[in-house]
Amino acid sequence: MSKKKNYWVNRIIRTIITAFGVTLIAFLILHLTKGDPVRIMLGPYASEENIAALRAKYKLDEPLYIQYLTWVGNVLKGDLGTSIRYNRSVNELIAERIGPTLILTGGGLVIALGFGVLLGISAALRRNSFMDYFSTFQAMFWLSIPTFWLGILLLYIFGLQLRWLPIAGMTGFASVILPILTIGLQQEAWFARPMRAEMLEVLSQDYIKTAKAKGLKYSVVVWKHAFRNALIPIITMLALRLPWIIGGSVVVEVVFSWGGMGSLLVNSVLSRDFPVVQAILLIIAAAVVIANLLADIIYSVVDPRIRTAG
Amino acid sequence: MTDNQNNELSHEQIRQDIANLRRKKSSQMSLVWSRFRKNKLALAGFVIVSIVVFIAVFADFLTSYDPLETDPFNRLKAPSAEHWLGTDELGRDVLTRLFHGSRIALEIGVLIILFEGVIGIFLGVISGYFGGWIDAIIMRIVDILRSFPVIILAMAIAGIMGQGVWNVVIALGIVGWTTYTRMVRSKILTIKEADYVEAAYSIGESTASVIARYVLPNALPTAIIMICIMMPTALIASATLSFLGVGVQPPTPAWGAMIAAGRGYLLKAPWISTSAGLAIMITVLGFNFIGDGLRDALDPTTKRN
Repeated sequence: MSKKKNYWVNRIIRTIITAFGVTLIAFLILHLTKGDPVRIMLGPYASEENIAALRAKYKLDEPLYIQYLTWVGNVLKGDLGTSIRYNRSVNELIAERIGPTLILTGGGLVIALGFGVLLGISAALRRNSFMDYFSTFQAMFWLSIPTFWLGILLLYIFGLQLRWLPIAGMTGFASVILPILTIGLQQEAWFARPMRAEMLEVLSQDYIKTAKAKGLKYSVVVWKHAFRNALIPIITMLALRLPWIIGGSVVVEVVFSWGGMGSLLVNSVLSRDFPVVQAILLIIAAAVVIANLLADIIYSVVDPRIRTAG
Repeated sequence: MTDNQNNELSHEQIRQDIANLRRKKSSQMSLVWSRFRKNKLALAGFVIVSIVVFIAVFADFLTSYDPLETDPFNRLKAPSAEHWLGTDELGRDVLTRLFHGSRIALEIGVLIILFEGVIGIFLGVISGYFGGWIDAIIMRIVDILRSFPVIILAMAIAGIMGQGVWNVVIALGIVGWTTYTRMVRSKILTIKEADYVEAAYSIGESTASVIARYVLPNALPTAIIMICIMMPTALIASATLSFLGVGVQPPTPAWGAMIAAGRGYLLKAPWISTSAGLAIMITVLGFNFIGDGLRDALDPTTKRN
């Protein structure tokens, strides 16, 4: 039991260190600029008063650690700063745009998981069949195509040529389909292959043989015994792929002119709106850190063998 | 015979044994190669990549056009006998730009892999071999960097540092090395326990010499495979940065930037984006076939049947 406790104490400490490091990186990224970040942000025609005001606001004349503490202090108070380009609070900007991004990442995840799990299982159940080779080949295909190019391709075929679906913007359910498909299809490959391997592994276990020997129906053995156990490692996979799904959704938002956090991030990087860049980096990284911790917790709840063994 | 001579003789013996053990490893490499050659997809990948490399090297001689020369009278011309893949929005020959694009893609890909590979393998060896607090610090840095989606952090870094080949390489490498470190570290952990390392220590070799002579050569196959597996990621990521407008920029004929530029002419001149998109796909597919073949060849247990 104490081993288990130790593991969790360790895991929490690691999470705290990671969270601290994440804020440090989001903060320091501003200082990668050559020259004065404030002048770069405000552009060549900024008045000296504005520059002085902004410098004072971010305490840029103070030592680096004071700047960092001020920034983190504000973030912890729930104040993500003010956008220079929009002259609005970053909190507001993000609140407006987090919804559309969650729709894309959530939808992409569902498609990736759904297709991946189904393809993986059907490949495992009929090894070396057409389905098995198809599953492997399509995975290779998705892994070889850049997200933005897949998006443009789908947009070209279904939007411009066939005119079945809208090509840009957020205009109801139809406009969600192509962006979600772009993210989902691409990420599906990462679930199909591990799912196949897990399923094969589980199917060769003794308890499956026992279940078969008991005379249980094949479908019961597959779905009730094998499928459930094979799904457990996929939880970890889910947390591992989350950064890539979020990264993919940023690109997809640009391709489909989707008004989410991703396109806001890209525009903010290009227009050097650093407070927004810092805030979005922080939010995304925090989401990944939390998801990893959650995956670990869920994993140990579902499969108690893991943490006591080692 | 004195005791001393006796000792020296047995040392020589052990040295030879260790050398034999290492030779056995290299015969394992030839085993891997023979398995690799039997894999048709891997061989196809090898052919694809060879062709791309050939095009990249001889891009200047393969067409009679200049990749940067604009021709206002021949804008957005459909594929024809003169322009096999048509012309783009400035009248430049798409095929020529495609060929020169392969040079840029491979150049950046190789630079990224060298950059992140050297850092990642070095830190992986140190982390795995020494363990303790060095390992703890390195692995925490890995955790921190991996909390950011690669493309997002790279875009922010490249965007803030400004455009250019080296900024792309640095931006992607800053996150990329963590993958190598993880893989190499776990490989080193198993090598560390191997008999030949213990044997080398027992005859009084220094840590540095053990690492250089036994640990590194044994971790090398893992590192080489890592590099083949990471190439597709590097190609796709650098193309994505170009597409997002923070990578290698026009007029340089980068594939990602060509797709982005052609996006505005999808209906009128679909050949601009399509050719660049296909070029990326085929190249990446080639590297993926090789990577998959190598993985199967090294670890036959994961292979079908």
